Formats: sequence, C-alpha cells, structure tokens
Amino acid sequence: MTNPVTENIRRSLGRTAQSPLSLRPAIYEPRISESIDAEIERFLSEVKKLSGVSQKLSSPEIDSALKTLITDQNIRKATVWETPHLRQLGIAEILNFLGVELISPNANKYEMAQCDLGITEADYLLPETGTLVLRSSDEKPRAVSLLPRVHLAIVTPAALRADMHQVFAETKDSNYLVLITGPSRTADIELTVTLGVHGPKNLYVWMMKE
Amino acid sequence: MPKAQLFITCLGDQFYTSTLQNMTHLLERLGVELTFPPEQTCCGQPLFNNGFEDKTRPVALNFMRAFSKSDAPIIGPSGSCVSMVKHHYPSLFKAGTPEHALVVDIASRTFEFTEYLVNVLKVTDVGAVYPHKVTYHASCHYLREMGLKTEAKTLLNKVKDLELVPLNEEETCCGFGGAFTVTYPEVSRSMMENKVKDIIASGADTVVTCEPGCLMNVAGGLHKTGSKIRAMHIIDLLSSKEL
Amino acid sequence: MTDTHPYIGFEEYSEHVPPGIPLAVQQATSRFVGGRAARVAELPQWEQLRQIGSDIRQHTIENMDTYLTRLEEKVVAAGGHVHWAETAEDARRIVLQIAKENNVKNVVKSKSMATEEIELNHALEAAGIEALETDLGEYIIQLAGTGPSHIIVPAVHLKKEEIAALFSEKLDIDAPTDPIELARIAREVLREKFLNAGMGISGGNFLIAETGTLVMVTNEGNGRMCTTMPDLHVAVVGIDKVIPDWESLTVFLKLLARSATGQKLSTYTQFITGPRRAEGEFGPKEFHLVLLDNGRSKILKDPVGRDVLKCIRCGACANVCPVYKNVGGFAYGSFISGPIGAILSPQMLGTQTARELPYASTLCGACADVCPVKIPIPTILRHLRRRVAEGDAFALPTISTPIRVTAMLTSLALAQNWMYRLGARLLPIINPFFRKDNWLSGMPYPLNRWTKVRPLPSFSAHFRKWWNVRSAKEKDS
Repeated sequence: MTNPVTENIRRSLGRTAQSPLSLRPAIYEPRISESIDAEIERFLSEVKKLSGVSQKLSSPEIDSALKTLITDQNIRKATVWETPHLRQLGIAEILNFLGVELISPNANKYEMAQCDLGITEADYLLPETGTLVLRSSDEKPRAVSLLPRVHLAIVTPAALRADMHQVFAETKDSNYLVLITGPSRTADIELTVTLGVHGPKNLYVWMMKE
Repeated sequence: MPKAQLFITCLGDQFYTSTLQNMTHLLERLGVELTFPPEQTCCGQPLFNNGFEDKTRPVALNFMRAFSKSDAPIIGPSGSCVSMVKHHYPSLFKAGTPEHALVVDIASRTFEFTEYLVNVLKVTDVGAVYPHKVTYHASCHYLREMGLKTEAKTLLNKVKDLELVPLNEEETCCGFGGAFTVTYPEVSRSMMENKVKDIIASGADTVVTCEPGCLMNVAGGLHKTGSKIRAMHIIDLLSSKEL
Repeated sequence: MTDTHPYIGFEEYSEHVPPGIPLAVQQATSRFVGGRAARVAELPQWEQLRQIGSDIRQHTIENMDTYLTRLEEKVVAAGGHVHWAETAEDARRIVLQIAKENNVKNVVKSKSMATEEIELNHALEAAGIEALETDLGEYIIQLAGTGPSHIIVPAVHLKKEEIAALFSEKLDIDAPTDPIELARIAREVLREKFLNAGMGISGGNFLIAETGTLVMVTNEGNGRMCTTMPDLHVAVVGIDKVIPDWESLTVFLKLLARSATGQKLSTYTQFITGPRRAEGEFGPKEFHLVLLDNGRSKILKDPVGRDVLKCIRCGACANVCPVYKNVGGFAYGSFISGPIGAILSPQMLGTQTARELPYASTLCGACADVCPVKIPIPTILRHLRRRVAEGDAFALPTISTPIRVTAMLTSLALAQNWMYRLGARLLPIINPFFRKDNWLSGMPYPLNRWTKVRPLPSFSAHFRKWWNVRSAKEKDS
C-alpha cells in the first residue's frame, strides 16, 4: 500500500519499501520496586502532593469512609464500576443505604453527567508519580472516572508496579488505557492553579489494607 | 619557558588596548614568552554566525596564515572568538585537504585566556588585589561552547579582598550576540536592560566578564543609566593591584 | 507547500510587542523553569534519558517510512481509519469530508498545534460547523480572537479582568474576576458542548507504531472528553510524532512533562487504539487518524535541518530563551514560537517568508541545554542563516542586498590585513564628532543601530603600535 506521503519520505531518505529497519537504540534499565510497604507509602504520599486525598482502609472501614465522603462532597448521585471486587465490598449497597441515587455505569452520557461521584478501581498503580492506570471495558467504562466531579478509586497493593515498563508490557494490547495523575487541573488563567476544569475536581484514592 | 602567541581579537584591537596590554604583562609575569603575529585581523565570527560561510573562509585563511608561522599555543581574551577557531573553523574546510589539517592543528592549540591560566599553566592566584564587591556575568559562548563553567570564578576567588556576590540570571544572555545588536536592536535593548537591572540589584560595584563583546554592551548600558558600577574584563581585574 | 503564508516580519513584530506580554510571558516561563529544575534535580539519570530520547527520535526519523507503514497497518487492524494528508489543504479537506459524511454540526477540539498549523478552525467555520476549542487557554484565545502567546499557556498574556470581560461579553453573563470561578463557568459551558458534539477533534503527542496507538497528554480532561463523548473521533497528527514502541514511550513520558511544566507526569495520559470495542463502553464508534505531512517529508532531506523533527513540543526551549521572553509568541508570526519556531517555520514555510526568523537569536545556546531530545538548535539556526545568506542545496539566498554587500565588504577588509589596519587607523578620526566622556553616541548608519540603544566605546586601536615600540626597545636594550 503506497501513498504520496510515504513515497515523499522514502525519496527524502533515499530508502525503498525494502529498506531494512535499523536497530532501535536501547532503553535504560527499569526501576526495581522497594518493599511493598515503602511502595504503598510512596504512592499515597504522591497522591497527596497532587491535591488528592489518599488513605489506607480495611473493608469494615469503607462504610464510614463513604459516609464521610458523601457528606463532605454533597453527593446525591453516583455511578460505580461493576467489578467483582467492588461488588464484594458492597459499594452499591452502602451508597443505597446512605440515600445516594445510583446510576448504572452503562447509562448514557447525559445521565452519567448528572453524577456527582464516580467509583472505580485501578488496574495498576505507579508509586513514583502517584498514578492510577485504568483500562476500559463494558464493566469498567471510561466516563466513570471522567464525568463526575468527584472520582474515588478503591485500589489494592497487588496493582502496584515498579515502573511504566511493567505496566505497558501488560497493557499494550488494550483498546484504551488512561493514566490518571491527580485531579484535573489548569494554570491557564494568570497561572493560578485551578482544579476540576473538565475532569474531576476531587480525587480520592483508598488503598485497601489487604 | 612556555611560548604563546597573542590573539588580540578585532574588538580588543579597536576598543580595549589597555586590556590587551594587561594581558601581555600578566602572561609575561607568569613566565610566558609572547609573540604577536601582526597579520591577524578578526576570527570571522560576525560573518560566520550570520550565515556567510563562504565569506568567512578567506578571513579564516588569513588567521591561519598569521598563526601558523609558529607552532606555539594561541591565547585570546574571548571565549566566542576562541570557540570560533576551535569549533567552527574545521567545518569551513573539506576533510582531507591541507587547509583542513592545518586548521585542525591550529584549533587544537588555541585557548581562551582563563582556560590557559587555570587548565594549562595551572595557575589560579595571580597576586591580584581588588577590595570590592564584584559580580560575574557568564558569557554564553564562553560558558556553553567552550564549557568553561568554573575557571573564571576560580580566578576571582583568589583575588585578595574581593567579595563575589551572586548575579541573578548570571547565565542569561546580555543581548550582545554580535550582529544581533544591529539586526534586532530593540530586542537587544530589552535583554541588555534586564541584565543591567540585575547587575544593579546585585549590590556589586563592579561587574566582570570574560568577553569583550558582552563588556561593550553592558558597560555602555550601565553608563547610559548613569550608574557608577564599573564593568571590567577579567584580565583587567586580575591585573589590579589596587590597595 | 501549497499554501502561501504571509511574510514573517520578526523585526517589525518584535518592535511592537503589546506592553503586557513580556511580563506575563516571563512569569509563566520562570514558573516552568523553576519546576523543571526541581524535577531534573530529582532524576540523577536525566542526561542519560536525554541522550536515549535523542537517539530514539533520531532512529525514528531515519526509518520514518517503515514506522508509519507499521502504524497504519495496526490502526486499521484495530478498526480505525488512516488518511494521509500531503498538504494542509488535503488535511482540511479530509476532516471536512468526514464531518460532512456524518452530518456533523458541532465539533469539540482538544489542544492541537497540528490543527492550528493547518488552520482547521477557519475551514470548519466556513463550512458552517461550530468548532469549539475546549482547552481553557485555547478557549479563551478563541473567544478573544488572538493567537497564543506561549506554547503551553496560550492565554497567559490576558489578565483575569480581561478574561472576565470576555466571558461576560461572549457568553452574555456577569462573569466574576476570580480565576476559579471563571474556570467553573468554562467547565459548565463546555460540558454541554462535549455531550452534544457530533465529532471530537484532537491532536496527538505520540503515535506508537508497534500497536497503532495514539497517545494524548493533557492536564484538564478536555482531551478525554473530546475523545470519549462524541461518536466520532478525528485525530490530526504530524508524521513526525511516530515512535517505535511502548518501551520508547516510557522515555518520552519521563522527559515531556518535566521539561514542559515541571510536573512529573501530566494529569491524563491516554492511549487510544482504534474505536471502542464494546457497546456498553464509552468512546467513539469511529476513529480517524489524519497523518499530516505538510512539508515534513521535505525537511527529511536535509540531514542537519531534519533534527527539528525530533521535537516533542514541550516548550522548554521557549521557557529559557531570552529573546522569546522579551517578545512573546506573536512575534514569531506562526503557530509555533520560541527557538523551535525559529528553526521550524523557515523549513516549513521557506526562507523567503521566514528569512528573519533564523536571526531571531543571539545563539546563546540556553535552548540546546534544556531540549529533552537534544536538538542542536543553535547549529540549525546557523545552518538556516547560511541558507538565507548564501543559499544551499535547498534554496537560493534571500538576504537583502544591503546586507549582502556589507558582508562582502567586511569579508574583504578582514581577509586583507593591510585593509583592516588602514581601517583601524582611520576609525579614530571620527571620534571627536561623536565623543562624550570617552563614549560615542548619535552615530550615523549603520552604527546608529548600536548607538540608539547604548553608546559605543571610542575607537582606540593603539596596541599594535605599543607592541612595535616595545619590541624595538627590547631589541635595542
């Protein structure tokens, strides 16, 4: 398959369609993880530096933590990823009990945009930068971490990876991937940092103790 | 006794006779036997930096003729002029030609003044006395093309009673840039005024630099504001026995 | 290049810089420079990363055809469409065609320099399609009808009061001057647009050939909105954005945000491979990648100039450039400013249109020190000056005659020792006419261009005579 652009390129470089690909230069050695506790602490601390709210929780503590969040952030409508772990934690039930209206994560974008809170997990975590890595699928739609003004990610230590290398090795065949590092921000108006311009204004990250 | 040839630079020649005299005396005091090839004119930077490579070549050839009569090292009081010879002259001549071989040889033995003192003669204390607050402007080609990051301050720190005070944006260009001053005079003006402001704010009564071009620009700018701050070439400061 | 671009009069533009610009630009650049310095200090392997980044970009440029071919295969295999745009006109036509076929009336755009390069918004508007910029800074300057003053924060030259007035006027509201409130207003207005747009247009930071993946780096989330909410996503990306694989990307992700704003990583890094795969998932049903050439393949011919294609658009060069910081983005006369603009525009637009830009620098070298992919900007500036002054294999000279004649005379005088020394002896004659306190001012052309800014030292070439006298004395003694 030829097109004028690749033809132009070949002509400029003196190459043909049969020209070999030279060896790509080597990358550096990837980072090695420290102890799991150190990685967890590093991760949670980086999230805080980005104006996110991070804490460690055990499953019995979820109930009251959610209650506090709902009150603090004035949550009336929420949407939750329907994943095994979040189902096991009973997130939907707790929200229901707290009087929060639940919108299906597969609802249309207009309904989703009415939500105040979106709850997801994270497929991977990067401690150096406090980054959440989220894949996307039917049960894990992208908009849940994007449309609501509050994003809560309930994560586990098993998701931690030392470096982007490890993450990419496992995710490069995804259709969609997003790295989330802190809440949405801009400094476009007189360099004043403002959170939540289009994406979520508040990012909560709860690291499960188990 | 080490031998060296004086490369006085066109700006030094036209405007800074006393600096060149100080350079002569200082090097001789350090035991260097100096010669001055009179055929020299200019390194050709103003032409080369403005894209006139073909027109630079005859100027470079003149330099090479002047300085190839002796095989002694060549010392110049300007990082940009020396860099022109060391880093850019070889690109003017085709590899494999006798001119190229000659210019590579000349490039290998051309030194900037502070470079020669600190790195070749291994001298850092020349017995200078200058009881003043001094601030240092790091000239762009001296710093980045020649890679001379510590030599000037090493010498300044050995000057008796000299207090070195920091200059805000020490490494920011002063706006000289050779022909830039006449190509875009208003932009050059803004840059020069920023540098002058920073010099005044440093609290120093003297600003020192290793580059005649920067010196011309900054000294003129300071004079225009009515400032009493002295602008000096490092050679003049190092020749000072002021008590 | 089929488009004609107006002549870029850097001298004129730089002499008419709007008064607030230098200060605003300097505030932005010093924030970013400080941030960058802190991040670089944290990474002991920074210089090694820069070298690797440079090597990979070099390698990619030299094999660009192979990587682009691979990219196309992978995008198509993932269910996306690939369009090749040789010129800006081609790119506009392709995007308009896609919009027309899908009855698109409203477009939301994420920040994309490639779309600014091809002036896509004008074309969309002319076709009766609303094309709304959604990055806050871009949204503001779109409302204001001006160009960007800085690559990363394009509206930094506008005060909050001006932005409030702008919002009040254009949105028919009473906007407060608090930046946080203004951002909230923008969020509300644009949210409605995101949800209802028929098409999202984006650029791209990288294109991963290995899997046909578009990488987008943003901070606000508008990039995610534009590529998640509408059913149609069109990405316009320069061919030079291709990189070999995900492994290489790790290097650029480490270099990019740190170099640009001093963040470790931008808030959102998205990886898009074709349209969405499942029904219940959000995301576009159709994904179109428009690969933009627009002169890049021609630049590849020049082994020196083509290093400009390594650029990852971080803006670090502009942040340290003393020229840029005194004139701002408008003076560079095109969609890209600062040192990278000074070497890209002359190669894209030609050395007649952009002949003043390679000279818009003192060759101080600060940019080369910070470029994350080690583009030797001063070398390329000199290389392009050569093209303007004397011409080379790629273009005839375009320098003005007076300058060419001056250079000729200068070369003559400097190459002949006797002529030079005669000049040196004659120059002091003019001193008395202009001298005051050993300084010369008010000189005639061409030296007036120096003396109007600061005085010249008086001509005093006495060294040679002094040396000769001294040597004679020594010989006698």
